[in-house]
Amino acid sequence: MSDSDDPFEPRRPGTDPERESDGRGYLSVDEIPETAPARELDWATRLANATPSLPRLLKYAIAITVAVLWIVPFLGLFMASLRPLNEIIQGWWHLEGMTLTLENYQQAWTYRTAPMRRALINTLIVTVPAVLVVMLLGAMAAYPFARFEFPLKTTLFFLILLVMAAPPELVAMGNYNTLREVGLFDTYMGLILVHIGWGLGWVVLFLRNYLLGIPKELEEAARIDGASRYQIFRTIILPLSTPALVSVAVIQFTWVWNAFFFPLVFMRSPELYLAPQVLPLMRGRIQVEWGLVAAGSVMTMIVPVLLFLTLERYYKQGMVAAVTD
Amino acid sequence: MSLRDYVDALDADATPGLSVEIDREKAVALAVFLIPGMTLFGIFSVGPIVYSAVGSFFSWDAFSMQQFTGLENWIRTFRDPLIINWENLRRWRFPMGALAQNLLWVVLHVPISTVLGLAMALLFADLRGRRILRSMVFLGFTVPTIVIGLVLLFIYDPQAGVFNELLRVIGMEHQVRNWTQSPQVAIYALIAGGIWVQTGFNMLLYSSALAAIDPSLIESAKIDGAGPYRRFRDIIWPLVRPVTAVVVIMGIIWVLRVFDIVYAAGGSAGGPNHAYSVLGIEVYRAAFEPPIDYGKAMVVALVQLVIVAPLAAYIARMG
Repeated sequence: MSDSDDPFEPRRPGTDPERESDGRGYLSVDEIPETAPARELDWATRLANATPSLPRLLKYAIAITVAVLWIVPFLGLFMASLRPLNEIIQGWWHLEGMTLTLENYQQAWTYRTAPMRRALINTLIVTVPAVLVVMLLGAMAAYPFARFEFPLKTTLFFLILLVMAAPPELVAMGNYNTLREVGLFDTYMGLILVHIGWGLGWVVLFLRNYLLGIPKELEEAARIDGASRYQIFRTIILPLSTPALVSVAVIQFTWVWNAFFFPLVFMRSPELYLAPQVLPLMRGRIQVEWGLVAAGSVMTMIVPVLLFLTLERYYKQGMVAAVTD
Repeated sequence: MSLRDYVDALDADATPGLSVEIDREKAVALAVFLIPGMTLFGIFSVGPIVYSAVGSFFSWDAFSMQQFTGLENWIRTFRDPLIINWENLRRWRFPMGALAQNLLWVVLHVPISTVLGLAMALLFADLRGRRILRSMVFLGFTVPTIVIGLVLLFIYDPQAGVFNELLRVIGMEHQVRNWTQSPQVAIYALIAGGIWVQTGFNMLLYSSALAAIDPSLIESAKIDGAGPYRRFRDIIWPLVRPVTAVVVIMGIIWVLRVFDIVYAAGGSAGGPNHAYSVLGIEVYRAAFEPPIDYGKAMVVALVQLVIVAPLAAYIARMG
């Protein structure tokens, strides 16, 4: 367990990888003592120190119980996705005589109203451009916000904060009429544009705060060397803000992928349905098709969950920075 | 200082032609950087908000604006029993109206998830493997909220639901029911689900605040003989209090936007007889399901914003 990976804590001096790799962390030859250092403590004491005390053991037990309790619902969902309906109704926690089957996944994949195969592709088609464009335009707009004075700066800033507080329902009516008028209603492009406009607010604010923390000296040096503002943006600002851009990418991807309200309003043809939109349809009329719902849910949530697990550091740091800065 | 001196001072300030040049170059650069993003932001975010703010004072024929009617939409909305049902509110019977029910969410969800988040952050703070524990609790926040709603539906199912099984095991068989479809208790069941998700987020914020506390402070308090309670009250709490403001405000924003969970459990009606409808659901139904009532939808959405806006301004001033 490497606790030094904890995103909130600075690395301890002894575990600094750079220091170890370039050899500066080691003693020089004449510093090496003649004899090996004696153990300061005998093994019994060391063992006693390493073994947690009773209250501490209890603390571990509570912590692990709580954490497991917190994911039990997802365990249930996962189990249900792999078992036939009659076994799910008996209770997914009964393990004896368990039949594992991929039937549910197959059914969800080819679900008749809107197959997940299509829905997942649709979600990807909407999410990828919505994330990339927001990153580019957001970084471009954040740069002047962090570095220059210009008229209307305070007004724009205020509007960004206003939009960040506003519920998505508030922009639905206006965007519905706009998209209908320009003929983009019920198209990928329409939904992508809505997501871009909605995401830009927090992204600009987030990247501006990050850029304020980067010293200006580099840019000033480049300016004296005759670099234009565009060159400075491309060769200094963008590379320096990579960690923040990764955070933006992860969080914005999760937001757009998971979004339910915007697709529900702006996507009306079943062949354009996004994955989160299809899931409530799978409930059926009388008996809920738990296996089908579970399999569809697992397929939809696996993408943001894997993204979170691989880029956890950026996700968590970004989340904390986005709301506390 | 005469005008003459003033003009002289201006002339002395660098070469005149060059500064104009620089200013124009700067203005062009600013436009190139700002205009693409801010145009989209204006059209798809600011524009619709202004549109709603203006439109809430007009009468509507389906999707097109008619004539100015002043406060008519506002008065009509606040008299609508779907928004506040005073009679049921007095007797504490659901449905009490979306506004009352949404505020009940705020009152229960926000304090409980805040306290749980802080408790968990403290519990995990110095354990080995805390990263994994935190990720397990946080996982729900990364999952689509519509899935959260469906999972709740599954947990509370009378046959297949693990919650009802738990009740059977502890001998409360008579309490077994379809929790999300029982009008008088469903809202509490859904709020519990909201707390389940939000606790992970709050724990994350508190964890980062706790990690920033200098451990030597706590050590020296220990040496001075302060017990866990004193250490919490005199050292930890004052240092995490600013984060609490953020946690509470983010919680309120999240709760007033809650839509997916309620939609998954009760559809666009917000449960049987609208028993656990919230403001977002009312906006959706008024705007996009016949009979279409854009005026009411805009008023309800603005109410959502008006509740949250001062809090967001508070966060902005802090930062």
